[in-house]
Amino acid sequence: MLIAENVTKTYNSGQKTALSNFSIDVPKGSIYGLLGPNGAGKTSFIRIINQITQADSGEVYIDGEKLKNSHIQDIGYMPEERGLYKNMTVGDQLLYFGELKGMTKNQALHEAKYWFEQLNIDQWWKKKLSELSKGMAQKIQFVVTVLHQPKLLILDEPFSGFDPVNANLIKDQILNLKAKGTTIILSTHRMESVEEMCDYVALINNSKKIIDGKVFDVREKFKKNIFGVTLSNANEELFHVFQKNYKIEALKNENSLLSFEIKNNQNQNQLLSDLMKIGNIRSFDEKIPSMNEVFINAVSEN
Amino acid sequence: MKNILLITKREFLTQVKKKSFIILTILAPLLVIAFGAFIAFMLKANETETTINVIDKSKLFQKELKSDENLKYIYVPENSEKQMISGLKEMEGTTGLLIIAPLINQNFDELEKNSKLILNNKIGFETKQQIISDLSEIIRKEKIHALNIQEDQIINLDKKFDLKTESISEDSKVDSDMDFGVKYVLGMILMYATFMFIIIYGVRVMRSVLEEKNNRVVEIIISSVKPFELMMGKILGVTFVALTQFVVWITMAVFGAIFLNTGFAAMKNQIPKGSEEMVDKMDFQQIATEVSHTLLEMNFPLIIIVFIFFFLFGYIFYSSMYAAIGSAVDNETETQQFTLFAIIPLMIGVYGSFTTINNPDGPMGFWLSIIPFTSPVAMVARIPFGVPVWQILLSMFLLIISTILMIYVAGKIYRVGILMYGNKASFKEIWKWLKN
Repeated sequence: MLIAENVTKTYNSGQKTALSNFSIDVPKGSIYGLLGPNGAGKTSFIRIINQITQADSGEVYIDGEKLKNSHIQDIGYMPEERGLYKNMTVGDQLLYFGELKGMTKNQALHEAKYWFEQLNIDQWWKKKLSELSKGMAQKIQFVVTVLHQPKLLILDEPFSGFDPVNANLIKDQILNLKAKGTTIILSTHRMESVEEMCDYVALINNSKKIIDGKVFDVREKFKKNIFGVTLSNANEELFHVFQKNYKIEALKNENSLLSFEIKNNQNQNQLLSDLMKIGNIRSFDEKIPSMNEVFINAVSEN
Repeated sequence: MKNILLITKREFLTQVKKKSFIILTILAPLLVIAFGAFIAFMLKANETETTINVIDKSKLFQKELKSDENLKYIYVPENSEKQMISGLKEMEGTTGLLIIAPLINQNFDELEKNSKLILNNKIGFETKQQIISDLSEIIRKEKIHALNIQEDQIINLDKKFDLKTESISEDSKVDSDMDFGVKYVLGMILMYATFMFIIIYGVRVMRSVLEEKNNRVVEIIISSVKPFELMMGKILGVTFVALTQFVVWITMAVFGAIFLNTGFAAMKNQIPKGSEEMVDKMDFQQIATEVSHTLLEMNFPLIIIVFIFFFLFGYIFYSSMYAAIGSAVDNETETQQFTLFAIIPLMIGVYGSFTTINNPDGPMGFWLSIIPFTSPVAMVARIPFGVPVWQILLSMFLLIISTILMIYVAGKIYRVGILMYGNKASFKEIWKWLKN
């Protein structure tokens, strides 16, 4: 769907680099996470896709075509800095933004109706934005972004400012859109907020891409073969022997439950059968690193 | 183009629908009238009645000094002089005592030297002038009388040489005083209209840019349209707002004039026609015909075309400057430093035209109406006097070029500026944006 090749962007006549040699490949119909701390270059990249700014070098392709003016109608963009006209009614506002994206008035009206029913907000049509609460305004903001049925949806810090209820609502709508085939790019510095939604991620730090790929693969790459175990009715003598053979960390003994972490690079089945001798296994799982941990590890590796 | 129109439409509708716009449009003319009435009232309210006691030893002034509503002369007998002087302090209603010396041997200088006005209170400058002129007139008559000549003869003596002017070339026909006055007033009105329009609506463009920037809505819009389209749409939208306001005001003025005219005519019919009034009316009619004659003689199509051209281009030139300013700052208080650049050239144009209008074809008048920063106001002020075609064309050409240039420059600043949140740009930074 979207391919970026060696995109470089600098500001202040080259003194500040926002992106250097940035390349990603966003597959069609996926949710792609653009993750990295503030100032890493995410927003710069998004602005390039939206043709708000131009890249110094490198190319961006949408559906195999070089980025061009008409692509604007295929993109829905919700910037990090949210905002709408305060003195306009919700209805006028939606029609206006719809028309700016090339819809006819009727199309915009039709789509707006659909979304107002979806989000249960049809009584707001004639209200001015200044009369709505912040949470309400956020819903309108989302509708503005998706009204023109974009093929590519770009959400910069999608859940910042949303209360948990609205955030869940929007999350569901994003997944809905994905199911309908929309490609979605989520950009955020709060990695935990999107990691379970994303199919693919690219981690960015200091204007450079550190790692990208399927979420599963990225995590696999950084897992450390650590397993979490919880035992009940553990035999202390046998556990003592066990401790000599395996490296054990974070040992806890609470409510007659013994829990600990094991670093094991060998056969897991062997480990399990060893554990079974000590006591009853309550839980056994591999500790997969969170995106945050992946990021920190990836940054320190580079 | 479609986008520009959409933006223009939105800008126009939101501004026109605002309550403040509706109220201001309707109330502004009324406020102007009320303000004028208030000034007139204040002038009137500041007038006080002055009473002057007069002791006339010359016997020349007894019947001649005439009281009016502001200045009242009361004659008191000669023998009460001492009493009057000593009692003046206690006489509250009396401003002063005018003592006119006797006329001895027709020596008017001596009379003047020995006469004096003793004041109780302060006396207004105008009142003093009025007393002086009253006295002078009577003395003058007396002097004429003493010389034993007729008053007509004196008037005849005073008559100025009436030099008739005739010019061979049609263009540089010399104006009569009346012509000059009419053209002057017309020029000033056109110039002020342009000046006020540019400032008021330029600032409106700036505010609108700032509002979008502060609302953070701007990033969404420019992900759909080019910043340049947004800027132009905005400028055009505000232009239509201004035109709407103009149309409303002109309509109001026309209706007001019709209403006043009929009211005035009805009133006049009720008053019996005295001979004095007839004279007044004749005069008025004569002036009116002369004014309309001057107006008719002017090349109106040219004046209108030139006015509209400089009005619009001047406005677009300056409002793109204002748009750039709005984008470069974060709130209205920060705009002041930059708006000076938009206001000072216009001020130079306006006040420059004031000083050069006595000789509209002079070098200063020429340059002010050629340089694009001042030409929108200066050319409009000059145009009723007639401007050589080549100058108009040169000025138009330069204004078009520099308007395009200004839009280009403003567009560049605007593009970067609207996405800069949280800090006011310095001149150095703006220069960098321009170079990018």
